[in-house]
Amino acid sequence: MASDQFHEKLYKNFTTFFDKAEQERRWNPYRDVPWDRINPETPAFVATCAETFLGVESFLPDYIRKGLEAVRASSWAQRSFSANWGYEELKHSIALMEYLVRSGKRTQEQMFDFQAKLMTEEWRRPFDTARQMTIYGSFQEMATFVIYLRHEALAKQYNDEALAAVYRFNARDEIAHARFYEDIVKVYLEEDREGTLRDIAHVAKNFEMPGVGIVPDYDARIELMREHGHVDRDVFLQKIYFPVLKYLGVTRQELVEVARREREERRAAAAQ
Amino acid sequence: MDRSELLNTFQRMATEIAEKDFSHVTEEHVIADLGIDSLGMLELVGSMERELKIAVPDEQLVGIQTVRQLLDLVEKRTRASA
Repeated sequence: MASDQFHEKLYKNFTTFFDKAEQERRWNPYRDVPWDRINPETPAFVATCAETFLGVESFLPDYIRKGLEAVRASSWAQRSFSANWGYEELKHSIALMEYLVRSGKRTQEQMFDFQAKLMTEEWRRPFDTARQMTIYGSFQEMATFVIYLRHEALAKQYNDEALAAVYRFNARDEIAHARFYEDIVKVYLEEDREGTLRDIAHVAKNFEMPGVGIVPDYDARIELMREHGHVDRDVFLQKIYFPVLKYLGVTRQELVEVARREREERRAAAAQ
Repeated sequence: MDRSELLNTFQRMATEIAEKDFSHVTEEHVIADLGIDSLGMLELVGSMERELKIAVPDEQLVGIQTVRQLLDLVEKRTRASA
């Protein structure tokens, strides 16, 4: 059972997050994107990348339902964050779909077909507990932020200011979500450092982006996105893993130590 | 510690962490080809840091692909801390 301080800290984190979101980060995908600045000459592969982002974002019903299941009993703040998170994430897929249709790269009918095809698959929650899912959110949102920024640069390269704006708005939400999750992980660390470190090591070791295996042609799509967005394993370490650990105040050495202790415990248990 | 001892340390630590035999590994091997991903590599480096009482800055771990590159880095840090 979490302490009263845990709930108080999370409550404060959420109210700060939500107040700031209301004041500084609300946007309208129909009105705030400069749709008249779509570049009709933007190459097809750029649209394919946008469609891949859309594919991943479109599993929102699963993310909300299964994510909420993980945190609903944990705290009011996490339940409330999940509700708001779903609203903010919805705008990401709306904006991407608007871009694909307004640019003429896809028809509305193709979009409905794509959505229907996506929903033949179902996202599975990768981790069991609220704490593990919060840690997962820290890495995943940071990764999505970095990849959106890379693709914003690509859209700018092709003078597609509308697509660049879509990516910029989406990225701004993603980094705000990453920071919220990280702040909650910090509270978890204050409550139970050893257990949280073990969960960080576990989540990092088993981390996968959410579209794996459920977005059609995922491997080919991701290869395209990596190639043009210049995302490789060094980017994961440099821009995602190390910065998240640094923000959390966790060292690599601490994670090595918990992994070592876990191995020793596992071997001792197996020897009995 | 000479280079062959350093390679032995790498093999022993990798075997300990991944729980499979890495005694055949040479400096020419690409780390990812051994089934060690980037986080596995970090755990391996962390174990070597602990045993050799050195500290490798995070930014120097970016771009490491082969066993040779990793051992070069560890050797450099070992000399620096001597």
